[in-house]
Formats: sequence, structure tokens, C-alpha cells
Amino acid sequence: MQLDKILHVEDDESIRVIVKMALVDLSGLTLVSCDGGQDALTKVDTFTPELILLDAMMPGMDGLQTLIELRKKPHCQHTPIVFMTARIQQAEKQQYLDAGAVAVIEKPFDAMSLGDRLETIYQAYLASPDSDVTE
Amino acid sequence: MQTPTFPSNEPSRLNALQQTGLLDTQPEQRFDRLTHLAQLCLGTDIVLVSLVDGDRQWFKSKQGLDVCETGRDISFCGHTILGEGIFEVADAQLDNRFADNPLVLNAPFIRFYAGVPLVSNGENIGTLCFIDSKPRQFTDKERQIATEIGKTIEQEIQDRLQEHAHEQLAAREEMYRSVLEGTRIGTWQWNIQTGETVLNERWAEIMGYTLAELEPITIDTWLSMLHPDDLADSDAKLEDHLKGKTPFFNDKCRMKHKQGHYVWVHDQGKVISYTADGQPLMMFGTHADITQQKLSEIALQQSRDQLYKLTQQLPGVVYQYQSWPDGRSAFPYASTAIKDIYGVTPEEVRTDATNAFEKIHPDDLGLLVSSIQRSIEDLSLWEIEYRVSSDNNAFKWLSGSATPERMEDGSTLWHGYIQDITETKKHYLQLEELNQQLNVAQQSLDLASEQAQIGYWQASLKLGTLWWSPIIYQIFGLDEQDIDPSISFFKSALHPDDIDIVEKSEQQARITGIHNVIHRIIRPNGEVRWVHELGQLVSEDQNPDLVMIGSVQDITDRMKLQKVKDDFISTVSHELRTPLTSINGALNLLQSGKIITLPEKAQKLMDIASSNCMQLSRLINDLLDIDKLAAGKMQFEMKKLNIVPLLQRAIDDHQPYAQQHNITLALQMDEQLHQSALYVDEHRLLQILTNFLSNAVKFSPKEGCVTLSATVIDNDIEIAVQDHGSGIPDDFKSRIFEKFSQADASSSKAKGGTGLGLALCKELTAAMQGNIGYESEFGSGARFYVRLPIAK
Repeated sequence: MQLDKILHVEDDESIRVIVKMALVDLSGLTLVSCDGGQDALTKVDTFTPELILLDAMMPGMDGLQTLIELRKKPHCQHTPIVFMTARIQQAEKQQYLDAGAVAVIEKPFDAMSLGDRLETIYQAYLASPDSDVTE
Repeated sequence: MQTPTFPSNEPSRLNALQQTGLLDTQPEQRFDRLTHLAQLCLGTDIVLVSLVDGDRQWFKSKQGLDVCETGRDISFCGHTILGEGIFEVADAQLDNRFADNPLVLNAPFIRFYAGVPLVSNGENIGTLCFIDSKPRQFTDKERQIATEIGKTIEQEIQDRLQEHAHEQLAAREEMYRSVLEGTRIGTWQWNIQTGETVLNERWAEIMGYTLAELEPITIDTWLSMLHPDDLADSDAKLEDHLKGKTPFFNDKCRMKHKQGHYVWVHDQGKVISYTADGQPLMMFGTHADITQQKLSEIALQQSRDQLYKLTQQLPGVVYQYQSWPDGRSAFPYASTAIKDIYGVTPEEVRTDATNAFEKIHPDDLGLLVSSIQRSIEDLSLWEIEYRVSSDNNAFKWLSGSATPERMEDGSTLWHGYIQDITETKKHYLQLEELNQQLNVAQQSLDLASEQAQIGYWQASLKLGTLWWSPIIYQIFGLDEQDIDPSISFFKSALHPDDIDIVEKSEQQARITGIHNVIHRIIRPNGEVRWVHELGQLVSEDQNPDLVMIGSVQDITDRMKLQKVKDDFISTVSHELRTPLTSINGALNLLQSGKIITLPEKAQKLMDIASSNCMQLSRLINDLLDIDKLAAGKMQFEMKKLNIVPLLQRAIDDHQPYAQQHNITLALQMDEQLHQSALYVDEHRLLQILTNFLSNAVKFSPKEGCVTLSATVIDNDIEIAVQDHGSGIPDDFKSRIFEKFSQADASSSKAKGGTGLGLALCKELTAAMQGNIGYESEFGSGARFYVRLPIAK
């Protein structure tokens, strides 16, 4: 199964624009952008993503809190979540992986290859025992 | 009444009486028979043998009278002994001297008295007296009979004395015989003139014979048994005595026993008679077996010899020291080593110890004397170290020890040993000085440790034992008295979340020898403290108990500051990266030409912007890494890694960058590397190789070649990157690993470097127990390498 529907949560508008261009215009994926955790929780009620790209540092509800809240939604319990962070220390990365993220992408990221990277992560997720997605 | 006077010879008369030995003895038939005969012959009521003593007359024999004595003052016999012949009183009532005598007025109512003096040794010792209660007068015939009987009694007294003397002689002989028998002493008699010799049975018995077996006995019997070695000496002693040079013949010699062995005998003798012309005639003597005594003497001498030999071997003096209450003192025994100790001979101090005491150091004399006094008083072991003068004005240190014993004469005798401890003392004093220095150093260390709040510890990973310096107790919020630290106790004080990292560091120390970890502990009151532990572990083959020594520092305050700083850096890096992410993303998308097609000039400007954006991103990353390394906060995930795929990945990652610069990347590896592994953090090793490779590509001429190689050197693997660029300028070589150093100030701009790369590589290599270096000649390229230990 190929990756198509992505939920992107990011408080920085510039990055939201660039991610949208990279994933929608370059990779032809379906993307719903949210400006924060609260926005994301609202939007998943009407949009069921196959992968969530979540910024770690956000004002108010940060990435980890958003992850916890999203997991409470029945249809998001097993959705693969990829963190995006400017805090690139190993311990911090590990913190997100421990919280249930499938991958961590460092900022700044390569916009040209972002779609391909997410596809790779998604396929790896599908192949893993954690996946509940059946074709 | 007339009291009898004392004769002028009274003392000698009494002495003669005493010598008869008759006074106060039992009645004897020899006297009683004579007095009875006298009574029958002369028909008087009473007959007595009366002995006139100092103030009484005592009756040795009595007929017709019961009393055994009366006072001398009322006696008739007291008068008799004053004259020589018979003293007769025909009728006492008519005689003024006796008429009122109680013996006349009362029983036995004496009227007649006749006394014959009894003489012994020429003195009148008493009388044979006749008494009757009727007046009477002896006829001449009767007087003659009385006198004869008196003489007979005198003879009996003499006979009795001789008999007694004879008995005493016999008793004495019996006694001597018993003594000879009892002491088992042999006797001999020798007629020097004829050679005739008489021995007793015991003499023969000592030699193992009977007398009969020795017959005929001559002086040759004796001579033939004498030990040949003793013959001359015995002969000389005999000659000396026979010539009158010695009062006795006195000889100890060996004589051959019947059974063939020799017995030691002691012969003593004396010439007891001489011939008319003055030649010695008879000689009597004794012959005693002294084998046992002699053997004891020999054994004693042997043990003395042994003692002498033993004491000769000792470095010090073995001695006896005696002190008397009157202040005298002496060394009754001292081995010859006393010469080395006190400079005196044993003989010089045998009866007076003054010479030895003169050698004692004046500062120590008082102490020495009082220690002796104390030992005398409570008989305690005497032990002291003191000095004595030796040659050339120097002093020797001595150590003495002796056990006292109280003697019968009130003196005290010590048995002890004194040795020269000058060398030991010198070492001891040096040691004491060193100890003092050590104490000062220890105090300084303790002070420094307290000031810096750094404690030090020692632990055995094998035995689980742990020792802490006092500061550690403070750091852990404990009282030194309450806790006996151990490794398990230490682990129980660890923050639960940090147990793993501490144990991991310990495991790593077993491989690398270095234990370096920052972790939290929880004090008994619940307070959490941060500590930094740094330890060193020598490998197990040289350190079987796995003893690790190290330090621990309370870095809670530093960690608080660190956290503030970390938060700041984290925030800054986030704040920097977020706009950088947007710029980078936007540039990526524009450059791709997929969103919009740019004119050529705009494209060139986009490339410049993109390149600078990447450099800015690397600079931020490098800065953060340098900061973490400096703070010791960078965590390494050390793993055993096969090197071949690692190098391949490094080449693959840099291929696009190399192609961009028209550079060929090559990989060269030793065959044996396929079996080798490194113990490293994969990500950090790749970071180092990335730096080497990107530098090499950057500084290579167009269409050049960069080679990544790996070789085994001793216990290390060397990974090197060789380029063929211009090499490193000489004036830059000393600064090459410094932060923000660039060979040419303009090169960072031209080649896009941060100046932090190599400094970072050096820090990362050191953290993984490796070495970094390079070889370069200006103009002919450079070769950068890291050497890392092969994992076992």
C-alpha cells in the first residue's frame, strides 16, 4: 500500500508552506496541515491520515502531548507518527521513539526528498509487527 | 646446826661429779648390790651412795630409805666430802653440829652417821654413808669394811664410765660404717713401704668386682685400672702428698670397670703414720664413684659451650644483670658481644656494672635508671630503647628487654637481651619523617578534597568492598560512623533511573580501564544530588581483585547551571534551525526547478544561498557538538562494530559530493579486517570520517582521487584518508586541531568549512580511546588517520 494521506502539525507557517509544496506539489500526496495540537485533534475527526508528521516544539500543546491526545482517538491509535525536530540530540530523539514515534526527521530537512523519506518510513512501518494496517 | 661449808675446789669437784654421768640416772644393780652387801655386813638401818651436788645430795643407790635426795645444807655427807677419811658421828643428839638438824629431829631420826668419801678424778664427789637411828660406833674392822666397799664403789664408777665410753665408741663406729654404706664409699689402706693394700668390698663393687676376684690385692691392682691418660696426673698428686706438699691426696680420675667402660672415681687419702726414719708408712683413704656427677659436669660444660656458641651467633648481648638494694649492680653473666654494645668485656662488669653505665647517653640515663627501678618494684618486664656512646663521638641506639626475678638476698636478677638497633632506628626515624610528610600531604589532599568537594574511593569489583574518603560521606548525606560502605550499599543510593548508566560505565571500564560517568544519587533525606565519578581500573591479569580507584565530585550546582545552559542552547538551536528549515526548504524547492523554472543568473544566486545555508546548518551542529564534548555531556553509544560495512557506508554517503567535485573515491582494506571489529560509537566514527572525506574532496585538485584505507597496526586499526591536494602549510601544522582554525583565512569561504571539524574529530577520537594524526608535506597532499583499539 502506498502512502497517500498525511496530517502535518507545525506551528511555523513557513515550514507548513514548504512541507505542503514538497509533499503535495512534488510528491503528489494528500496533506492536511494543522497549526498546533489542538487544531490536529479537531481535524482528525474529519480526516483519517495514514501517517502523521508532528513538530516536536510547539507553543501550548507540544508534540509529545499531541501524540498522547491523538492516541486517545480510536482511529489514530495505530497511526504511524513521525516527529520533526530541531533538537537533534540522541537522547531527545530516543525520547520520541520511546513515546511511540516510528521515526524522527531532523530540521533542517531536505525538502526535495521529504516525500520519498516518508514513503520509506511508511513502508518500513507496514512491514513491522506494530502495524495494524491490512491491505 | 652447822651447815657444811663448800670446799675450796668446789668447781672442779662439781665438774668431776658431772663427768661420772651418774646424777639423776636410774638405780643400777652394780651399786645396789654393794650397798645391800654393806648393810648386811655392818648392820645399819640405812646405806646410801650419796652424790653431793651443788645444792643437794642425790642418792644413786639407797638401802632403807625412800627419798632420793635432800638439801646439801642439812646433809651429813656435805661434811664428809670436806675431809679425806671416814667421817663418823656416834650420836647426833649429843653433837652440837647436828643436834638440831631436821634429819635428826625428824625422820629418819639420825643418831649414827658414818661416811666414806667417794673419789673420782681426784675429787670427793660424794660418799658411801651408813645411818642408824641408835647411837653407835664402828669398830676398826667395820671401818675397814666400809672403806673397802667404798673403794669397790669407786671402781664401779670408773668401770661404768669406761663401759659407757666403749659403748659410745662402738656406736660411733657403727655410725661411720653406716655412713660408708649409705654413701656407697669405698675405703682403702696402703702400706707404702710394703705395698700391702687393703680394700673394702664397696671399693671392689665400684669397679664391678668382688674382693675375692681382685685377690691378690696390691697397689698394682689400683694402678692397672687407672685410665692411661689420667696416670701421670694421679701419680703427680700422690707424689706431692707423700712429699708433704699437700695435706691430702685428692684426685678425680677414670678407672676401668670390669665390663670395659670407665667410671669416674674420686680418691681422697692421707698418710697417717710414718716410719722411725720419717718415711710415710700407712695411708688411708676413700674411693667414691662420681661418674654421675662427672657426667653432669660434662653435660653442664657442654651446655655452657652450646650457650657460648649460640650467643656468639647473636648480634646482641645475652646477659644477666643483678641489682642489690644497697645500690650495687653487676652483670654476673654477659656474652662476649657486650664488648660491641658497651665497649667492656664480660669480666670487667662481672662484679660491678659501673663501667657499662658510664657509656649511656646522658639524656637517656635518667629514663634508663627509672625504668630499672620500676622493674624492680613491680617485677615487670624491663623494656627500653636508649643510646650509648660508641667510637668517634657517635651514639648507638640500643633496644633492651629483660625479665626480672627476685633473689633471696633481696637483690633483683634480670635475664635479658640487648641489641644494637641503630640501623633500624635510623630507618624508623626516616620512616617517621616520611610518615609526617605523608600526613601533611594527606591533610593537604583532604583540605583540597574538602574545598573542591571531591572525595576519593577504592572499590573491588570482584569482592564488592568499598572505601570512601570522608568527603564522600558528606556528598551522600551520611554520617561516617553509621555506615560501612560497600558496592551494594553504593548501588542502593543510586537514582533508579541512573543504575543502568553506572553499570554500563563499569562494564566499559573493564574494557577500557576508564570509568567516567555522571549520575544522580538520593540522600537518606530524599534529596537528589548529581555526582561525577571518574575511576581507573588496571586490567584483571595485573589486578585480580579488580580494584578500581577513583574520585567523586558533587556537581549538583554545576548541573543546575548546565541545565540552564542546555535549555538555552536547545532553545537557541531550535530558534536558529526553525527559520533555517524554512530557508533551506524554500531554496531546495526553488533549486529543483520543479515548482518554478528560474533564469540562469537567479539559479546561480540560489546555489550560493543554498550552499551558505548548508554551511550555517553544519556550523550550528558542530557548535552544539563541541559544547557537549566540552561539558562531558556527549553520550557515546559504544558498540562492537564490524569495520568493513562502516567504511563502505562512508564511501557511499560521500559519492554524490565527490562526483559534484569530479573526484574519485577509492577504498583499500587489509584482508584480515574482515575478522576485526572496533568498539566505537558508529555515528561518531562516521562523523569523523565525513570530516576527513569532505576535507579531502574539498582540497583535491579536479579529477583527483581520494583513498579511504584501513590497516591493522599492533592492537589498533588505523583508518586513513589520503588526498593529493596541496598539503598542509608548515605554519598551520601546530594549529590544525584547534577550534576555528583554517589554513587560509579566505579558505573557509572558498571551501565552505567551519573551522571546527578537525577540533571536533580530535575530541571524538579521544573520547573513544583513540588517537588522531596526519602526515603531510606541503605540495604533495595530506593523509589524516585515526587509530582505534581492536575490540577483544
